Amino acid sequence: MKQLIRLAAVALPALLLSGCIFPPEPKTTEAEEVRILFLVIFALGAIVFVGVEGFLLYAVVRYRRRDDRLPVQHHGNTKVEIVWTVIPTIIVLILFVTSMFTLGSISARSDDATVIEVEGFQWQWTFRYDTGYEVTGTPGDPPAMVVPAGVPVRLVLRSDDVIHSFYVPAFLVKKDVVPFGQGQAPNELEFTITEPGIYRGQCAEFCGDLHADMTFTVDARSEAEYAAWLEDPGEPTPTAQPSIPEDTFVVELSAENIAFSTHELTVPANEPFVIRFTNLESVQHNVSVYDNEETLFEGQAVTGPDATIDYLIQPLDAGEYTFICDFHPIAEMTGTLTAE
Amino acid sequence: MATTTATPGSSAYERSWVLDWLTTVDHKKIGVLYIANSFLFFFFAGLLALVIRSELAVPGLQFVDESTFNQSFTMHGTLMIFLFIVPIFSGFANYVVPLMIGAPDMAFPRINALSFWMLPLGGGLIIAGYLVGGAAAGGWTGYNPLTQERFSPGDGTDLWIMGLAVVGTASILGSVNFLTTIFKMRAPGMTLFRMPIFVWTVLVTQALILLATPVITAALIALFIDRNYGGSFFDPSVGGDPILWQHLFWFFGHPEVYIVILPALGVVSEILPVFSRKPLFGYAAFVWATIGIGLLSFSVWAHHMFTTGVVFLPFFTFMTALIAIPTGVKFFNWLATLWRGSLVFTSAMLFALGIVSMFLIGGISGVMLASAPVDFHLQDTYFVVAHLHYVFFGGAAMGVFASAYYWFPKMSGKLLNETLGRIHFALLFIGFNMTFFVQHMLGIQGMPRRIADYAPDAGWTEMNLISTAGAFLIAVSMVPFVINVVTSLMNGRKAGDDPWEGNTLEWATTSPPPTYNFDSLPPIRSERPVFDLRHRDEVPHP
Amino acid sequence: MSAQAPVRREGGFPIPLVGMLLFISSEVMFFGGLFAAYFNARASFEGEWGPPPGAPELEILPIALPITLILLTSSLTMHLGVRAISRGNSSRLRLWLVVTLGLGILFLIGQAYDYTQIGFGISDGVFGTVFYTLTGFHGAHVFGGVVGLTILTARAGAGQFSARNHVAVEAVSYYWHFVDVVWIALFTTLYFLR
Repeated sequence: MKQLIRLAAVALPALLLSGCIFPPEPKTTEAEEVRILFLVIFALGAIVFVGVEGFLLYAVVRYRRRDDRLPVQHHGNTKVEIVWTVIPTIIVLILFVTSMFTLGSISARSDDATVIEVEGFQWQWTFRYDTGYEVTGTPGDPPAMVVPAGVPVRLVLRSDDVIHSFYVPAFLVKKDVVPFGQGQAPNELEFTITEPGIYRGQCAEFCGDLHADMTFTVDARSEAEYAAWLEDPGEPTPTAQPSIPEDTFVVELSAENIAFSTHELTVPANEPFVIRFTNLESVQHNVSVYDNEETLFEGQAVTGPDATIDYLIQPLDAGEYTFICDFHPIAEMTGTLTAE
Repeated sequence: MATTTATPGSSAYERSWVLDWLTTVDHKKIGVLYIANSFLFFFFAGLLALVIRSELAVPGLQFVDESTFNQSFTMHGTLMIFLFIVPIFSGFANYVVPLMIGAPDMAFPRINALSFWMLPLGGGLIIAGYLVGGAAAGGWTGYNPLTQERFSPGDGTDLWIMGLAVVGTASILGSVNFLTTIFKMRAPGMTLFRMPIFVWTVLVTQALILLATPVITAALIALFIDRNYGGSFFDPSVGGDPILWQHLFWFFGHPEVYIVILPALGVVSEILPVFSRKPLFGYAAFVWATIGIGLLSFSVWAHHMFTTGVVFLPFFTFMTALIAIPTGVKFFNWLATLWRGSLVFTSAMLFALGIVSMFLIGGISGVMLASAPVDFHLQDTYFVVAHLHYVFFGGAAMGVFASAYYWFPKMSGKLLNETLGRIHFALLFIGFNMTFFVQHMLGIQGMPRRIADYAPDAGWTEMNLISTAGAFLIAVSMVPFVINVVTSLMNGRKAGDDPWEGNTLEWATTSPPPTYNFDSLPPIRSERPVFDLRHRDEVPHP
Repeated sequence: MSAQAPVRREGGFPIPLVGMLLFISSEVMFFGGLFAAYFNARASFEGEWGPPPGAPELEILPIALPITLILLTSSLTMHLGVRAISRGNSSRLRLWLVVTLGLGILFLIGQAYDYTQIGFGISDGVFGTVFYTLTGFHGAHVFGGVVGLTILTARAGAGQFSARNHVAVEAVSYYWHFVDVVWIALFTTLYFLR
């Protein structure tokens, strides 16, 4: 009975988790190949694992010290040693050859791929299409990349700040988004999605404070649906700037080195006011105003160096609010807005 | 030998024991200082590991913010590698290598003291970041351009660079000392191929330190120039190349992996024969495998960079996979050593067997990562975290405990309590596998490393919870170890010169050994002089 | 039991020289890392490789070549010093040490003067960075050698060396020759092959 419980204690979690030892269901043609290679290498590893651990357990049980006799002093055996040098050599060669086959086939490039430019920045992504449409995420509002399924898609991976990495687990292939110097072509990643669906992805190369918030989704649609979407992607509406009355109260705010110039702003209560925001660097920022979780105002993004925008904000009741950059919701880009 | 009794206070050179330890140039005392210092950093870096695991136990940010989290894993990695696992083996090696080769001390005793005392200095500089507005937070790999001034302002990163440069210089001086000692100070009869296998692994390890560490020192200095003097080595916005940092870092970083693991493999190869009561099977093959691993380690660095898109994948896949061959040979040698042996399960033996079984998993996952296409999926995920902990913790840190149980009687003259030792091993073994085995699965499912938080619906919560529970079990497992060491030092049983029926020369002197180690040496006609002496009537030497 | 007394194996290569050679091999890797950075920067550089626009071309004649000759000569004088002491001539050793020390200091002064003349700084582009890093670290090594030579000169003055006991002189001479070789590599790479 005791042994049964012990067995169950080991087997139950093992059963629960065993599905997780294999890669996720592959969703691109490349992923299918990588998964097969994974399984081949995994199988070789499993054989080695069982063999070695099995012998180890056997030896531990079988060769326990039973008496004081000194065991036979084997110093070695050249023949045996040659054999067991050859065994790992064969395994290594199998691994190398199969890896090279897979590498060759997943690195193939097609001429008629749908090209999307991906820009990683601290800390989100912009996806640009050749129609001119683009979508930019914020840590609180990750973007979706709409792509066609069944045809090759090629991503051009650019970065202007630090190294990121474009990773969708279901695609089983990631590629670093490196800020190469001038004259060096950006990295590219090509894949063909096998079935429509929504796949989660996120940055895989540590890139600073909000690395964990660089999530996104890939929204794969049938070719026809994709074409229709591309016609009318539902532009992320750039709202028309309302005109600002002459005598509106204005507070100034600027951003540099991913930090606001001040963390305290005071404005009059119960009348409209303007936050004149100057972005001094070539990183995009905005200013939004929140009352706890509720969004009161969402500022349009601006990218410097030295770009100024006037945000006209509707009257607030007296009290304390939070202003924040949606792209960099860290302590340096958060402040208190007091209306009085 | 005439016996003289020293009367306390009678000597003109009598000093307080504190001053004695602070100014010592005796390799044994310096070894103990190394070990004590390393355990201090182990404690601190272990606390940081608990911070990391606590935060990741469930989705959401509960305990720390992102910036603290990033500092935690950066400091955890840096301190564990540079101030625990590498120096603690330097400590054990400092203590036993001169004994094992029948030397009275290291070749340069004062440089030995210097290279030790630079360690707390360097470590202090690294930790000092916490006092000046935040420690370094760029990961222990310090990738560029993230560690450039404009993305990592603040003095923490500069202190990290300075501290690592100091620690690196200390280890270079140490390696000059070890290599000279091993080349020049061996007792008569102790030819290279009669050296204990641990000495061989130290020899190869120190050669790697000698040749790899200066490269990272150069890279750190270049980064310091970039950050403080407007240099343009690694920042693409002023014409630098961020990938150059990765090349230089990993040219050091991969040999560093073997710097960490080889001494532990050496310890296993000392302990298995003693407690199987057989010689190490295929001694010469084992030596050549160690040398082979050392040489290959300089040609595989770019397998850490497969996803950067700028390295030649077939070459580095091939070279990396090749390392499996000498490593495989070692496993076969160990198994053949056990075969038909007469196994005694002391705590040291349990840890040695634990290393064989855990390092195996680290080796297999390493071979999987060597395959470029598989690495495209697993790179920078928790699979890599699991892999490196099976090597660094399941291999090397277990090796630290194996060494501690094996050599404690020699160092202190007292035996450790075996029951507490077994409890320590059992808790650590279970906790370790709970913590890190599920991390393979997390990685395979796509959880990236170095994230402070993850989505509740990502399907990673259960496995993270198990991993966190395991981490706390590891912490608990240290309690019996500490109790064991303290109580044994105070009133442990006397060990005698040779409690384990050892093979190598450190067991041919008293426990602890006298200042200059030996009054006399047995004849050295094989790699097991003490075994030969004990069984000189039974086993005719080949 | 045929016990034997523990003895150090003297003979063969002296211990300090083994230590120095090992240390030098580590230094080789250090400069190897810096040279790797140099060649990497040069290979990926767009446009003409050299001092930044606006700065004058690197001149070999007025300073760089003379200090190169100075350093080369100092290697020779160092060697003559070692030769002298291995024949037991300690007054000749003192002479050559002083000459070597003087040449080393002269080199450092020359290099510092060169820095004031070349018209660009460490933050002026990739070339400026690698130029100052390489020559600066070489200079620091020359300075280390000068310190070593000063100690040697003092010890030689106290008559501490003899034909049988002068391993410290040899060790410093190895280091000094190494620093010289590094300079030849630097001079060739930075001033000629560019």
